[in-house]
Amino acid sequence: MNFETIIQLKNISKTYTTFLGFKKRKVLAVDKVSLEVYKKEIFTLLGPNGSGKTTLLNIIMGQILPDNGEVFIFGTKLETTIPEQIKRKMNMCSGNPNFPWCMTVKELLKFYGLLYGITGKKLKQQVEKLISIFELEKFADVRFDELSTGTKQRLALAKSLINDPEILLLDEPTLGLDPEVSIKIRQFIKKLKQEQNITIILTTHYMKEAEELSDRIAFINNGKILTVGTLQEIFNTTKSTSLEEVFLKLAHL
Amino acid sequence: MKKEFSKIYAYIYRNYIFAIRNVFTFFDLLFWPVIGIISIGMLSTFLKLDTTLISFLLTGTITSGVLQITQLEVSYGILYEIWSKSIKQLFVTPTKLYHYIIGSWVIGVIRGIIVFLLLSIISHYLFGFYLPKINIVLVSLLGIFLTGLILGMFVNFFILLYGQRVDIIAWSVSILTMLICGIYYPVTTLPKWLIKIAEFIPLTYFLEYFRKGYGFEETFKYGLVKGYILCMIYAIIFSYSIELAYKYTKKTGSIIRLSE
Repeated sequence: MNFETIIQLKNISKTYTTFLGFKKRKVLAVDKVSLEVYKKEIFTLLGPNGSGKTTLLNIIMGQILPDNGEVFIFGTKLETTIPEQIKRKMNMCSGNPNFPWCMTVKELLKFYGLLYGITGKKLKQQVEKLISIFELEKFADVRFDELSTGTKQRLALAKSLINDPEILLLDEPTLGLDPEVSIKIRQFIKKLKQEQNITIILTTHYMKEAEELSDRIAFINNGKILTVGTLQEIFNTTKSTSLEEVFLKLAHL
Repeated sequence: MKKEFSKIYAYIYRNYIFAIRNVFTFFDLLFWPVIGIISIGMLSTFLKLDTTLISFLLTGTITSGVLQITQLEVSYGILYEIWSKSIKQLFVTPTKLYHYIIGSWVIGVIRGIIVFLLLSIISHYLFGFYLPKINIVLVSLLGIFLTGLILGMFVNFFILLYGQRVDIIAWSVSILTMLICGIYYPVTTLPKWLIKIAEFIPLTYFLEYFRKGYGFEETFKYGLVKGYILCMIYAIIFSYSIELAYKYTKKTGSIIRLSE
C-alpha cells in the first residue's frame, strides 16, 4: 500500500438550511470531519442513509461548499471552485444516475468526453474502449431513457472513466440494483483497482460491499466519522467480528 | 484553445441532438412562428394596409420569432440538464458556464437564421413583404441574436437559483420584452414610464433600426450604438450574476437537489 495522501479533509462541517414557508430548519449534515485518502486505495465511507456520505463526497468534488474546514486535493487547497487541472483528473459516478434522456449511450460518452477536452481519434477510441469494457455494445445506439437500471449504471461507470481519472468518486454505485447486476458492478470496480492507476472513494450503506471492496473504511453516522481504518484494524479496535457489530457498537456510543 | 472549442462544441452537439429528437423543438422552430406570421399577415390584408405598414407589422412578427427561438435555445442550455436531472454530471466536468452559454447560443443563432429565412420567404410570397438593404438586415439580426443571448442568460440565472419551478420564465421573457419594445407599434405609443423601460432594452433600438429600412423614423438618437453598448453591459452583468447564482447553489446544496 502506498501511503501518499491524495485527498485531505480538515475539520469539514456543513449545515443545510431548509424553509417550510417562513419556518427555517437547519440540518447538520457533516460535523467536523477530518480524514485522509491515500493514493491508489479504495476508501469507503460507510453509513446509513442521511449520514452525510453523499454530502462529503460532493464537497470533495466541489459541488457543495463546506461551511468550515479545508479540502486539499493533490496538495492544493480548494477554494470556491476546483481548478480545472484538478477537475480533469477526477470524475464521479452516482447511484440511480441521470443523463440527458434523448441521447444514446455512444452520444453521451462522446458529449462528456468533449467536455473534458478529448477530441478526434482519441475520443472515438476512448468511447469504443469503454463501451467494450462495460459490455455496452448492444446498447451503443439506444437512448438513455430506454435503458434498464443496470445498464444505466454501467453507462454511468463508463462515463466516469471517460477522462481516465486519477480519483474516482463512486456514490452508492449499486443502489437499487438487483443482486446479479450489483455483483457485476462490484467486479468492475475491483478490476478498475487492479488494472488502473486510480484512487477510489466509495460511499455505501451495504456492509458486504464495503467489506469486499475497501482497503480502508470510515464509518460515518450523523455527519461524524466514528472510526477509520482497515477492516482488521476496525475489528481489533472495536473488538468485533463483523461490520454490523462494529456499527451497532459505534452508533450507540 | 482546442480544449475550449471542444467544450463549446460539446454543447452545440448536445443541443443539436435535442433539437432533432424532440417534437417541442419543431413547434418552437416552425409551428408557432409560421402561425404568427400568417395571422398577422391576414389581419394586415383584412385591414387593407399598404405594403410599408404591412412590413412594419411583419418585422415585429419576424423579430419576435427569431428572438424567442434564440433565447429559448440559450435557456435550454440549462433546462435540458434540469429536466434530465443531470446538471450535477455537468458541473463535475472541467466546463465553465460560458461554454454552455456560447454552445447553446450558436445553435440558437442557427435556428434563428432558419426562422428568419422561413418567415421572410412566407411573408414575401403571401403578403408581398420585402427585406430592406442587406446591411440593415445583418446589423439588426446580430442585435436580435445578442438580445436573445442576454435574455437566455437572464433565464439561466433564475433557473439556477430557483430550479424547474420557474421554467415558465423561459417562454414568457421574450414575449414580455417584445411587448415593451414595440412589437406591432412604435414605442412612442407606450405610456411614458414604459418608454423609459424600453430605453434600457437593446431590442428597442434593433427593432427601430430594422424598421428604419422601410422609411420609419427612429425615436432615439444613436439607437444602434446604445443597443450594442447595452448588450455588452448586460452580458457582463448576467455572466457575473450566473457565476454568483452557481456559487449560491453550491453553498445551499441545491445543485445536488436539482439532480435528484
